[in-house]
Amino acid sequence: MKIKHGLISCDSHAQLHKDNWTSRMSKAKWGDAIPQIRETTDKSHMIRASDKPVERWFVNGKVVGERGTVNCPTAMNDPMRRTFPQRWEEVPAFVYDPAERLKALDRDGVDGEILFPNDPIQSATMLQGDAEFELACVQAYNDGLAEWAQVSDRYVPLALIPYLSGVEAAAAEVQRAVKKGHRGIVMLAEPSRARPGFKHFNDPWWDPLWATCQELSAPVHWHSSAGLRLAIPRWRGYTPNQGQAYGPSGGFSTQAQFIPNLLFSGVLDRFPSLKWVCAETGVGWVNYVLETCDHEWERRHLWTQGIVTRPSEMFKRQIYVDFWYERAGIELRHLVGIDNIMWESDFPHSTSTFPESQQFVERTLHGVPKAERDQMLYGNAMRIYHLS
Amino acid sequence: MELKYGFISADDHVQEHPEVWTKRMSKAKWGERIPHIEHQADGTERWMVDGKKADLRGVALAGAAMPDRAREPQRWDEVPKAAYVPGERLKAMDVDGVDYSVLYPTVAGRAGETFGSLTDPEFELACCEAYNDWLIEEWAAASPRFIPQCIVALAPIEATVKEIRRAVAKGHRGVVLPSVPMMLRKVPHINEAVYDPVWAVCQELDVPVCFHSGATREIQFPPYEGFTTEVAAALEAITRPVSSVLIVANFLYSQILHRFPKLKVVFAETSLAWGAYELELADHQFERQRINTEGYDLTPSQLFKRNCHLVGWFDTTGMKTRHHIGLNSILWSTNFPLGTSTWPESRKAIARCFDGVPENERRQVLVDNTAKLYKLA
Repeated sequence: MKIKHGLISCDSHAQLHKDNWTSRMSKAKWGDAIPQIRETTDKSHMIRASDKPVERWFVNGKVVGERGTVNCPTAMNDPMRRTFPQRWEEVPAFVYDPAERLKALDRDGVDGEILFPNDPIQSATMLQGDAEFELACVQAYNDGLAEWAQVSDRYVPLALIPYLSGVEAAAAEVQRAVKKGHRGIVMLAEPSRARPGFKHFNDPWWDPLWATCQELSAPVHWHSSAGLRLAIPRWRGYTPNQGQAYGPSGGFSTQAQFIPNLLFSGVLDRFPSLKWVCAETGVGWVNYVLETCDHEWERRHLWTQGIVTRPSEMFKRQIYVDFWYERAGIELRHLVGIDNIMWESDFPHSTSTFPESQQFVERTLHGVPKAERDQMLYGNAMRIYHLS
Repeated sequence: MELKYGFISADDHVQEHPEVWTKRMSKAKWGERIPHIEHQADGTERWMVDGKKADLRGVALAGAAMPDRAREPQRWDEVPKAAYVPGERLKAMDVDGVDYSVLYPTVAGRAGETFGSLTDPEFELACCEAYNDWLIEEWAAASPRFIPQCIVALAPIEATVKEIRRAVAKGHRGVVLPSVPMMLRKVPHINEAVYDPVWAVCQELDVPVCFHSGATREIQFPPYEGFTTEVAAALEAITRPVSSVLIVANFLYSQILHRFPKLKVVFAETSLAWGAYELELADHQFERQRINTEGYDLTPSQLFKRNCHLVGWFDTTGMKTRHHIGLNSILWSTNFPLGTSTWPESRKAIARCFDGVPENERRQVLVDNTAKLYKLA
């Protein structure tokens, strides 16, 4: 990847074309279960009820995403970020067309993007139907996204994994996806909470997957709360816009709880060169995790309990976090470690810095020496995704 | 106010002794439902409340004063006296350099949540009244160095308000309220205007509302079953304070502080390390969603700095980010006698955490903010 603007977004969302699954999966075999966009007049499919029919994604016959057809409020030219397209034709091409999107990247001053999914993929969307259906959906996603990397090396795709086919099948899909150009995987933080009977993240049952990712140098990614929703009931009195503002405002509570579990799980010492990227985290709270984990590790002598390495050392060796708007966190960067901090735009979601990413960078990194800036803004990403 | 050490701890816990409720509640009326200690088949003892075992890892929570911090007392005769005898507590405070101590419950819930999940409002209220009476009669009466805070029944609201008035008249200085009543039993969401009389009375009486972390386990990541007791306890000590992020985020968007601009709020056992980040995040979201156009005149961080407080006890980053959090909004504590407490080395922890902090700012966090909040003259 060529660096011109000095910025790689380590958390952006690729919207695949509406025909991605229908064109790749057998209609004879899967019929209407195939992920697709359909028209609906059912008001339970709309956050803002409308008398006009709208279009929604359907996966296995069930609607996904009540806010709109596609989650891209930042791309809708609405300073309020309230507008979600209600029909596919309203979705700007630069959200789903990789060639068009390159122009948006240039407009925003971003060299490249690490690509997480967009609609209809939420944390466990494909985890339904039977194992064969899930695998077919996941492969169609991975194949579709791999094509973006062929359009431009400014795109760095991350693969989904299947869950219902067993851990060996998941590892095999990682092998297949990496051959096609994927540079890492995105997965649930705690599979056992997603479906009864699934093994807990800490269970060595998952080791074949970690072994494969380590061998392929493909980092594991947890995006935002990664399917593990620790939340209080949302007040019904919030307007949609207030809900949208409030929702993410407490989100890091979940991340600040599952990263300590990762540090205590034993996985990092069993797979010491496997990288873990926690996206859409922010940085300013990470010192909480490092301080409390070290504090508890020391006080309770956890090295006698199988946790051999100091938690903050494991973190620095293997875990990466992202920032996008904060200043206080940047002041604390050396506590977290500038080797472990990357930048993200979160395009095209509502919290995104698009199209003012360069202004955000100037504001957040004011006074930070150039070498440190470059390292956080693109250098770390080049290193862990082997982009040079 | 008399200061010998220069430190007011804004969050400590009393351990309720075995007769707090049995001595004060009518046996004829409530029988075995009254909170009391029962011997278990495995030789341990546990608190029973309304016929159910209380959600505690021992018969008391006093890890900091136990020979092994990871092990909570399993029988009453193992409970350190500093946990439940006021005179012994004063000695423990002297050992640790603490002048005054703000008191939160234990059996009644770290966050006052135990009775909130009861479904019989009359019984709930009777349990709360007994606790509130006891704390005044045995702790506040023993020394002015104890700052008592009442617990309250969640419903009906008229009873909640009445008990706050009664307790404050008796000498309570703060109101411990579980932050998520709607997760404890079928009552309205905390943001609903139905709670306004509670905020109104606290504002009127000028007593802080205190939301302590740990009001519900549902927002804490449960420790893996394969963990040893020590690792599980460590993980719980890490997840509990940061689960309060959700409470703070909701509160700052809830509009309660718009309606009650003089209400004082304490988020206890939160730590400070994530505070600056939470305020930046809430403001960023506020700005991205242009919430100022929807009747909010102040940003979340402005509301926070005007009305709210976080409580630290071990983290060094908190004081590094003090100007982002707001120097007026930071309190300090020892968290005695919980396992996570800095006792008996709170002086050392303070020296480490306040390294390089100017003397006036140090005094503000360690003494003045808490003294002002609890009106220690």
